[in-house]
Amino acid sequence: MNWIRDLFARRTLERDLAEEIRQHLDEKIDDLMLQGLDRDAATRLARREFGNVTLVEEQGRDVWRWPIVEDGLADLRYAFRQLRRTPAFAFAAIATLALGIGASVAMFTVVNAVVLRPLPFPSPDRLVTIESRDRRSPEPDTLSYPTFFDFRSRATGFARMASFRGSGLTLSGRGLPIQLRGQIVSWDFFQTLGIEPAAGRWFLPEEEAADARVVVLSHETWTSVFGGDSSVIGAPVTIGSVPHVVVGIAPAGFNFPLNSLPDQIWTTLAHDASSDTVTPMTRQRGSRVLHAVARLAPGISIDEAHAQLDALAAAIARDEPNQNKNIDRTYVTPALERLLGQSRPAVLILWAAVTLLMLTACANVASLLLARTADREREFALRLAIGGSSRRIIQQLVTENLALAGIGCSAGVVVAVMAVQWLLPLAADTLPRAQDVRTDMRVLSFAVALALLTTLLISAPAALRAARGRFRRPLGTGPRAATDDRQPARALLVVAQVAVSLVLLTAATILAATFVRIVERDLGFQPQHLVTFSVSLPATRFPLDRQVQFVDDLIDRLGATPDVTAASAGMPLPLAGDEINVSFDIAERPSAPSDRPRANMAIVTPGYFATIGTPLVAGRGFAALDDEHHPRVLVVNQAFAERFFPGESALGKRLKPGATSKRDTGTVSREIVGIVGNARQGLLSTEPEPIYYFPYKQLPWGAPSVVVRSSMELALEPTFRRIVAAMDAGVAVHDVRAFEDVLVQGLSAPQLALLVIGGIALIALLLTATGLYGLLSYSVLRRTREIGIRVALGARRTWIVSMVVRQVLTLIVAGIILGGLAGVAADVLLRQRLGMTGPALAPLLAGACFLVALTAALASYVPARRAASIDPTEALRNE
Amino acid sequence: MRSKNRKDLFPGALELMVLQSLRQEPRHGYALAQHIKRASNDLLNVEEGSLYPALQRMLRSGWLKARWDTSASGRRVRVYELTDKGHSRLTHEVSSFERMLEGIRLVLGPAASARAWKP
Repeated sequence: MNWIRDLFARRTLERDLAEEIRQHLDEKIDDLMLQGLDRDAATRLARREFGNVTLVEEQGRDVWRWPIVEDGLADLRYAFRQLRRTPAFAFAAIATLALGIGASVAMFTVVNAVVLRPLPFPSPDRLVTIESRDRRSPEPDTLSYPTFFDFRSRATGFARMASFRGSGLTLSGRGLPIQLRGQIVSWDFFQTLGIEPAAGRWFLPEEEAADARVVVLSHETWTSVFGGDSSVIGAPVTIGSVPHVVVGIAPAGFNFPLNSLPDQIWTTLAHDASSDTVTPMTRQRGSRVLHAVARLAPGISIDEAHAQLDALAAAIARDEPNQNKNIDRTYVTPALERLLGQSRPAVLILWAAVTLLMLTACANVASLLLARTADREREFALRLAIGGSSRRIIQQLVTENLALAGIGCSAGVVVAVMAVQWLLPLAADTLPRAQDVRTDMRVLSFAVALALLTTLLISAPAALRAARGRFRRPLGTGPRAATDDRQPARALLVVAQVAVSLVLLTAATILAATFVRIVERDLGFQPQHLVTFSVSLPATRFPLDRQVQFVDDLIDRLGATPDVTAASAGMPLPLAGDEINVSFDIAERPSAPSDRPRANMAIVTPGYFATIGTPLVAGRGFAALDDEHHPRVLVVNQAFAERFFPGESALGKRLKPGATSKRDTGTVSREIVGIVGNARQGLLSTEPEPIYYFPYKQLPWGAPSVVVRSSMELALEPTFRRIVAAMDAGVAVHDVRAFEDVLVQGLSAPQLALLVIGGIALIALLLTATGLYGLLSYSVLRRTREIGIRVALGARRTWIVSMVVRQVLTLIVAGIILGGLAGVAADVLLRQRLGMTGPALAPLLAGACFLVALTAALASYVPARRAASIDPTEALRNE
Repeated sequence: MRSKNRKDLFPGALELMVLQSLRQEPRHGYALAQHIKRASNDLLNVEEGSLYPALQRMLRSGWLKARWDTSASGRRVRVYELTDKGHSRLTHEVSSFERMLEGIRLVLGPAASARAWKP
């Protein structure tokens, strides 16, 4: 860049020019003297013929100048001096902008990565998801294989259509067996997405046949398990104790559908096409387990394709009324929109809210600036009087604001990066693509654009005043109480800010109080030193008896291990978040099937309550003898006993649960033999839920998770794997977790909500403070003369303070009333959303009101005190 | 106002003269002023000072380069020299100047012949 070099070479250039001109004149004078003139005459003539030396020098210099840049730099230097002169103002303005811009940039970082980024596949806008629409349910439903096959073969509006469903798959035969996150897909799943394999090939159509056993590995599995060895392609691997052939490797980073943990292995729907015992899933019209993704055919719009599928669904509903009568329509949704689900509107709404906050920040800074400009009106009037142009003054004001916005924006980006880094781990499980969130060029461009927009917004009011010639007052009159300066817009802004910050604070305190209750709730069991893991027992090799036997053996062996205090198994485990909600009939109060009570159930082995640390309140726990040869029994928790048997003992009562074992014929009556404490099932529930427990041997539904109490905690993982491998080389150990980690992880979602809402509330509160401060400062400045007269006429300082404060008191009170009403509404909404009886609103609302009022008082105090300390002689001197 | 009298120079004339003079040999400012004055028979009498902003402009455009040197009379002078860019600029200027002269001649010429053609 030439001009940068020029800028620095300037001094040399100017020196050279001056020297050159001097030499020129000397030479000329010498020449003229040679022609006979004396020195004085020669000098005069030489100067006359040369012209105005200063002007020539100046013109020479001007050749090298960039007036806009240089005036701008001068303005910038001046701007920094101005900011240093008023550090309080500079801090308030920069902090306001930094928070406003920071919040907006932080949210944009998330919006950019999560919502704006297209799916990483060719023509991602042609990808759609397909779901069933059940007349009885508001939610989109999955497809069954027969319906998917019908759609795939008959819908011409799609170039390709693929099914997928998640399923854990056990890889064995290479050291200890491992459990992989897998998908069972139709043959052209990858081709539909339009990606190429990193090695090998994708599946073939004939590999959907029931006897085909092929897999595609994820790049990560290929490198971590197989060491990136390409000879693995075509080689056999053991999946679920059955040999499979590896045909290809997916590209690195492949993740569909946007799971927080990407899938590790894929196999074809051949897995669902074979079953020894029942009708294979691929032929059950009623077994709705499939997701589907499709690529629209060229030239076909999403609406056309949708109409076609609806027609097909209606035809199927007519042909198969038993299973599909109510499923006569479909949903066809752009893939990205569907995969993001609820996060998309949530993120966008939050971004909109935060942007509104940023605009408020701009309004407040503009207001602060207006107060300051008013302070400098005499300076501007003077400059105009001695011939300065108002364009130049506006340019200077804008430059100053640009400096302000620039600093604010830089600080904002730092705030944003820190906030995102701090909050993102909490969002990892709830927000799709959270792991891809980063500050890229687009984010930085957005920040720069925001800084420019901010400059424009905060410069507008003062620039408008300058342009309208408001500064052109006769010198000697200071800022005066202008009667035309009623400011309904700014007053409304203050009311709105007070109201909004009150609502946000109320919401934040409700969330905080709820969070504290969750943290402090009695879990009903002892999570310390409690570890859990799961085993995969393939149904083909583990029929019911072997499965029960395996679990029994495993618990015995674990119990005999040194360092293990207790071991047992159960499902679902406390805090697992999973719920099995099943109806039951109370023997002494029978009711119709539709009226039967429901409650969560769990299946546990003997010793379970002792292992997790739930106290036995009455009766007995389960024993080894509670198997299929002995009377059917149940244990219930206290919440269950109180809910369904209030005022009497639940012991000895009989229930007929809807949950039955294959070994039972019809529903069996079970006796309640024990009552235990309330171990929490839900991760975030604050109220204990009723639970009834079944002994595992009387209801062996799959393999329960193992719980082990040991001070060694996760250090025992290798021991677990060794024990299981010794029992069966084909069984994988997975999901090894400490309960305390589960607890911490479970709290991340409410913690995130609390931090985000709390952060926004805090910013809103600070904005309210700067808004009030700006408004009052401005008004005090404008009324300096009036206040001076009042003081001179004997007004007391306290009266002056109350006069200033009265001005905004109405606004604050109006804001608090509005905000309070909205706070009540927010409370109702939050309660619905959180699905719990939260803490009482009144004290929280009162606390929030107090905080807002306190902030308002502090913000008003400084300008009010300034008003009170106005010296009448100072104020009136200019008259 | 002296400078007003010099406005009769067409725009670019000074540049043209400077470039042309420097094509003959590198010169310093004073020598340049004297040369132009002499070569133009004092007809295009340039105010000497106005040479310098023009030189600065041409330096910045890269048509000239300058270096400090000692003149024959032992003076420290700044000598200007044409660059390649300056050479091609001069060619361009000369041809457009000639086109302009041609144009002026054509405008003036027909007036004379029209008079002759009139019966």
